[in-house]
Amino acid sequence: MKAFWHRLVAIVRRRRLDRDLDDELAFHFAMREADYRTDGLSADAAREEARRQFGNVTHLKEQTRDMWTFPSLESFRQDIRYALRTLRKSPGFTFVAVFALAVGIGGNTAIFSLVDAIRSRALPYPDPDHLVQLWGNVQRTRVERRGASYPDYLDWRAESKSFEDIAAVDSQWMTFVGSDEPERIQTEFVAAPYFSLLGVSPARGRVFEASEDIVARPAQVVVLSDGFWKRRFGADPQVIGRTLTLCCAARQYTVVGVMPPGFKGLSDTAEMWVPFAMYASPSTMADRGTRGFAALARLKPGVSLAAAQSDMDAISRRLEQAYPNTNEKRAVEISPLAVELFGQLRPALLTLMAAVAFVLLIACANVANLLIARSETRRREIAVRTALGAGRGRLLRQLVTESCVLTLLGAAVGLVFARVAVSTLIAQSPVTFPSFATPDLDVRVALFTIAVSLACGLLVGLVPGLQAHTPDLSNALKESARSSGGRQSQRVRSALVVAEVSLAVVLLVGAGLMIRSVRNLTALNPGFDPLSVLTLHASIPRTSLPPAAPAAAGTPAAPSPPPRPVVEGRVLLDRLRAIPGVAAVALGNDLPLDSGGGSASFYTAEGQPPVNAQNMPRIYVHRVTPEFFSTLRIPFLQGRTFTDAEVSPTSPAVVVSEGVVRRFWPGQDPIGKRLKFGGSPSSTDPWLTIVGVVGEVKYRGLPQNPTADPDIFLPFTDRNSLVGLVLRTTVPPSSLIATVRAEVRAADRSIPLYNIATMEEQVNSVTSRSRFTMWLMGVFAACALMLAVVGIYGVMSYLVSQRTREIGIRLALGANGQDILRLVVGNGARLIGVGIVIGIAASFALQRLVSSLLFGVTAADAAAGFAVVILAAVAMLACYLPALRATRVSPLNALRSE
Amino acid sequence: MGETKKATAVGDMLPGTLDMLILKALSRGEAHGYTIVQFIHGASRDVLKVEEGALYPALHRLEVRGLLRAEWGTSENNRRAKYYRLTAAGRRELEAEAAYWDRVAAAVTRVMQTA
Repeated sequence: MKAFWHRLVAIVRRRRLDRDLDDELAFHFAMREADYRTDGLSADAAREEARRQFGNVTHLKEQTRDMWTFPSLESFRQDIRYALRTLRKSPGFTFVAVFALAVGIGGNTAIFSLVDAIRSRALPYPDPDHLVQLWGNVQRTRVERRGASYPDYLDWRAESKSFEDIAAVDSQWMTFVGSDEPERIQTEFVAAPYFSLLGVSPARGRVFEASEDIVARPAQVVVLSDGFWKRRFGADPQVIGRTLTLCCAARQYTVVGVMPPGFKGLSDTAEMWVPFAMYASPSTMADRGTRGFAALARLKPGVSLAAAQSDMDAISRRLEQAYPNTNEKRAVEISPLAVELFGQLRPALLTLMAAVAFVLLIACANVANLLIARSETRRREIAVRTALGAGRGRLLRQLVTESCVLTLLGAAVGLVFARVAVSTLIAQSPVTFPSFATPDLDVRVALFTIAVSLACGLLVGLVPGLQAHTPDLSNALKESARSSGGRQSQRVRSALVVAEVSLAVVLLVGAGLMIRSVRNLTALNPGFDPLSVLTLHASIPRTSLPPAAPAAAGTPAAPSPPPRPVVEGRVLLDRLRAIPGVAAVALGNDLPLDSGGGSASFYTAEGQPPVNAQNMPRIYVHRVTPEFFSTLRIPFLQGRTFTDAEVSPTSPAVVVSEGVVRRFWPGQDPIGKRLKFGGSPSSTDPWLTIVGVVGEVKYRGLPQNPTADPDIFLPFTDRNSLVGLVLRTTVPPSSLIATVRAEVRAADRSIPLYNIATMEEQVNSVTSRSRFTMWLMGVFAACALMLAVVGIYGVMSYLVSQRTREIGIRLALGANGQDILRLVVGNGARLIGVGIVIGIAASFALQRLVSSLLFGVTAADAAAGFAVVILAAVAMLACYLPALRATRVSPLNALRSE
Repeated sequence: MGETKKATAVGDMLPGTLDMLILKALSRGEAHGYTIVQFIHGASRDVLKVEEGALYPALHRLEVRGLLRAEWGTSENNRRAKYYRLTAAGRRELEAEAAYWDRVAAAVTRVMQTA
């Protein structure tokens, strides 16, 4: 304790203490000298003898100082000062090393901040680790997610014991009819516990009450987001109690609450919330077999995911017994909310994290190489320091401190890089990051960066540091600074080159595979031709609005016409078809890849053998106009599209995709075969007759639809208010967007348009995750290639300069330029070859880890080979240039150079 | 330099004994470093050769441990010198060390005299 205090004081007063020590020792010398003088020695001899008698002054002074200071802290201070001085003395080296480290560390920081931003704790809800989603699923050939039905949900809620509460949630679009243009609003249908589960309370008014969850008496109430309230109600403080009209149902809803700013619901885009009781018609809500939404739940404290799962499994088994028709093979999947929200980003980011770590390793190898080269020229300095009494540990510590100072400088520059990189990444990312996940260079990221850079410092400092220990001091002192480094150091440097090459190979192969995989994805036939197609969605009001004013006073009021679309789809189609540049127009209730998903229905084929519930055939139903197939260039394998006469709600004509035929009538003529909706032949639905067969269309995902269920097409008959429009154009499709918008508004200004995009953009957005990863992998691979080449070039140049004398002798003895070239290049080629072999082996081993990001490629792909060839070529060039220089060595100069 | 240490040369000290000798030297009154060296050399009849430099780390260590107090004063030849003095703790430490040393020395002697 006392000693500690002494030392603390010493930190403050160290100048004074240093001076005191000098005085004390000077006094000792003076006394000793005086004694020797009285013994009869000359002044010089006395001083000499006194020094000899005393021992190594510097060393003893240092030891003494250690008594009253924190020795490690003290020497650390010295080391840092010394390191900064040495780095300043060789600015070229410092610049190259700091730059390489900045690229590596900055990249790691940037990717880490993204990974960190989507950790589960980033969810803006209290105790987010306990939030889960419950998904109904079904065991077919594999387990498929289906969501919950309302009766199932009620049973889960009543029977489960693992959750604090469960709330049904689903998100849909609703059209808000305000004073201005109608607007489509992302709306969440939520059961009352939803808000308390998420731990959010309204800023104004209230949220829903349990009584508003009763399907028989749905309450037409709405809670608004802060943004919507400000945008459409001008932040009116009196908004509670006002009503607003939401179309589709064209009903009046009473505002009961406003949420605080920043709350956008589970979908992260919601602007309104309405009670879940409004989700569907009472009859649909009562149907246990109609499934589609997920439920939000919060695990009770101390209940594990596994315990909750077995709880739900027991409930599922009971329901299966009670309702075998609808619940056979049905179970519940409990999935943490963080996985649901961030799951798709995670594998890509982790791959990128690994890639960028490789870049950093290559940068470290480069810096270590530079440091080794330097430590060889510094052998004398180090030998002198050893001679002056520096311990081995002390020297090592100094070298590591130097490299840590270097890496911290690199980290500082890297942070600047990372700042720029993160904002660019977020801006460019085709994958949307949740609005609340804001990657930022916060404390955690800073700590990560510091930890990484210190680890690098240790790594790159220890390699040359361990080498620097030359026990043979007298030799080191005698040797000229230019003399060659030992065999051992050459071996280490060669190993570093091999490591760099193999890391670069892994990254290049990875990037090559990504590029190839994305090309496979985009070259994939989606079942239609996405080029030169514009798509948009419109919501056509079902009923005409009341006439503005009676035609004339006194005339008897006409009987009100039956509800009908204000503008029929066909009228809209005719107007759009007339636009110059439009070749064909078609309409469907949904469009391929519009992420609407659609829902599948059971169907029965005429004459099919009985099937069990697991194997019950399902189809996705689309309603389309006859030109739909030709507009999207969906090929007919057999038969034809609908005739005009078949465009009616009662038409029995149906076009099926080839999956239906493959299952029920393989090898037969399917035209004229019949099928109907419903799970059994006894269903009361009318039979539908197949008039045409088309190829499979990737409606729901690329590269594959999530399930193999086929599609069928029925004629579009204006029964649907939400429509998708496709226009095949003869001009670039995006150039027509403004015209199309104007035409639709001219037809009826109350029709909201949304999702206007070219079909190519739709396809691209589906493959965006892969392309994002590919792009970054490409960047990292380019960095890796650059760093590796710089490293190889550096090492080869150095080796050549080391062997100048040997090369000179060879030339003098009659070797020609070719021989020298072969000698040097051969040397480098061996290292590169070994590196490539290791790198390829590692690529194969690592391929498994990225397989989820790849489509249709393996590490044996040609793209990987191409990447290796590029690397080999560039690396050989990096060897060739120094080798060429070696051939120009003049034997005379070379021999004189020692 | 290349100084390599031989295992035991005459006059080399057993580890830890230097501290004890310093305390002993100071038990006769305050002194500066040079006097302490002279005392050890003289009292041991030049058998114990303290490497003079090694004295100072030891003095500072004892001071930090609170066994010695140091003061700057003026020497007999009118120079600024640092004088060390035993503290009470230093005196106790010296007694303990001396007793320990006696026991060990006697034990070693007995072992060596066993026929």
